[in-house]
Amino acid sequence: MRKSLNAMLPFTVPALVVIVWQILGQSGLISTRILPTPVAVVEAGIQLGKQGILWQYIWSSTERALAGFLIGGSVGFVLGLLNGLYRISQRLTDTSIQMLRTIPHLALIPLVIVWFGVGEEAKIFLVALGSVFPIYVNTFFGIKSVDSDLIEMAKVYRLPWLKLFWKVILPGALPSILVGIRYALGVMWMTLIVAETISENSGIGYMAMNAEEFMQMNVVVLGIVLYALLGKISDWIATTMERRFLRWHPNYLSNH
Amino acid sequence: MSASFGLQLSMQQVSKQYGKKTVLQGVQLDISPGEFVAVVGRSGCGKSTLLRLISGLEPPTAGEILVDHERISGIHPDIRVMFQESRLLPWLKVIDNVAIGLGKEERDKAVSALHRVGLETRARDWPSVLSGGQRQRVALARALASDPRMLLLDEPLGALDALTRIEMQQLIEEIWSIQKFTAMLVTHDVSEAIALADRVILIENGQIAFEVPVNLPRPRERDHHFVRLERLVLDKILKSHANGVSSQLPSSQWTLLPR
Ligand SMILES: Nc1ncnc2c1ncn2[C@@H]1O[C@H](COP(=O)(O)OP(=O)(O)OP(=O)(O)O)[C@@H](O)[C@H]1O
Ligand SMILES: [Mg+2]
Repeated sequence: MRKSLNAMLPFTVPALVVIVWQILGQSGLISTRILPTPVAVVEAGIQLGKQGILWQYIWSSTERALAGFLIGGSVGFVLGLLNGLYRISQRLTDTSIQMLRTIPHLALIPLVIVWFGVGEEAKIFLVALGSVFPIYVNTFFGIKSVDSDLIEMAKVYRLPWLKLFWKVILPGALPSILVGIRYALGVMWMTLIVAETISENSGIGYMAMNAEEFMQMNVVVLGIVLYALLGKISDWIATTMERRFLRWHPNYLSNH
Repeated sequence: MSASFGLQLSMQQVSKQYGKKTVLQGVQLDISPGEFVAVVGRSGCGKSTLLRLISGLEPPTAGEILVDHERISGIHPDIRVMFQESRLLPWLKVIDNVAIGLGKEERDKAVSALHRVGLETRARDWPSVLSGGQRQRVALARALASDPRMLLLDEPLGALDALTRIEMQQLIEEIWSIQKFTAMLVTHDVSEAIALADRVILIENGQIAFEVPVNLPRPRERDHHFVRLERLVLDKILKSHANGVSSQLPSSQWTLLPR
């Protein structure tokens, strides 16, 4: 009992906010034209869910997000590995990558539209671009910061290169790589929200923009809530990965 | 195990420089198979460097290091090193750490090594839940797992409390006397050196300043022979440019070889 109360504690403040919001909206203190009540938002969700388009929109947004993330993440990871492991590669590309990193990728939208048009490619490209750098920087840093004492130990035991990589370097870099993944997932949704405002015929962004035109404020808010939920889910996935892969880490050690 | 299981080591005019800084200068040293040598000296005198050269982690600037009459190049498969920090991989369970240098079919060797250091019950634990002393025992098991013919120990007990130290010293001596590998122990603790070694070497100004055999019966007790020897070595370390030590030399139990 005590335990479950304790587990609920973090949710009391949001719950309270929602309740107060509902009361304010219902009593007319806040015009529903400005901010619909939570109940109205949920109703809009249920209605769109029944029609099936809600799922379709969620899926097309997720698909875009993941495609961009996978492409950008892989590129960042491979570059991070190469530059972390090989000095020549680092000398060759690190400075250039760091220079590109300083450009805010969302500032490229006009250019991206010219290059790719307003279709899927533009959005996926933007998400990929946003995901590359967090993963690159953290993979690179993770590998560079692997304890050199451990690598020396591995030398004494004459570990072959592949074993050295799998048993020492990669696990040593993993905490940092996972930080990069978590951060990149955040950037991924953020980028998508902006990218989906580019002319669109599916996705959560389209749903919200469309609703705005018809002043369906409850659907607009629904879109925002959906983005928040998806962001929360990917964050949860990232923390689950951390718990799973960093079981050995004193921060995650469970008592069994 | 055969009588000469341990490696024979010979260093001939070995020097090591880092840039312009000369750390070791013409070191001449022979260690017979199965011998236990302790290396003492002031901080920064080059003890770790000496060990790193023998382990093959670094090449000497000049001179030759011969192991069983063959010049070493790179890391020798029969030499293992134990460092002051355990250097366990925190993401591998204890048993997998011990097995790190072994092939897939040799896991029983890891189990037996862990058994030898008395930690077989902790095989499935993460290193981070072990105490410092236990971690060093795991590191010792890891070093022993492949039955090395020479074990280099760089202040492996330096960070342990007094009681754990004594336990570990006994454990090392016991395992050494059974396995008969050649051992070289770097230590700051003169009494540790005298408790364990067949011979104590003092490094000073990049050279072996003097060495003294320890001909006391094992296991050693802190009797007056022990204490006098300890005193002698300590005096030698403290007087950085000592001369005329031979006058203090009681000749019956041991001999000094001033250089
Ligand atoms: N990689 C290196 N580059 C430059 N100088 C080095 C390097 N390694 C060691 N030295 C220098 O060589 C000298 C001897 O170092 P070493 O680590 O062998 O000393 P030590 O006798 O083991 O000291 P301690 O007892 O404090 O461990 C020191 O002055 C150190 O600064
Ligand atoms: Mg040292």
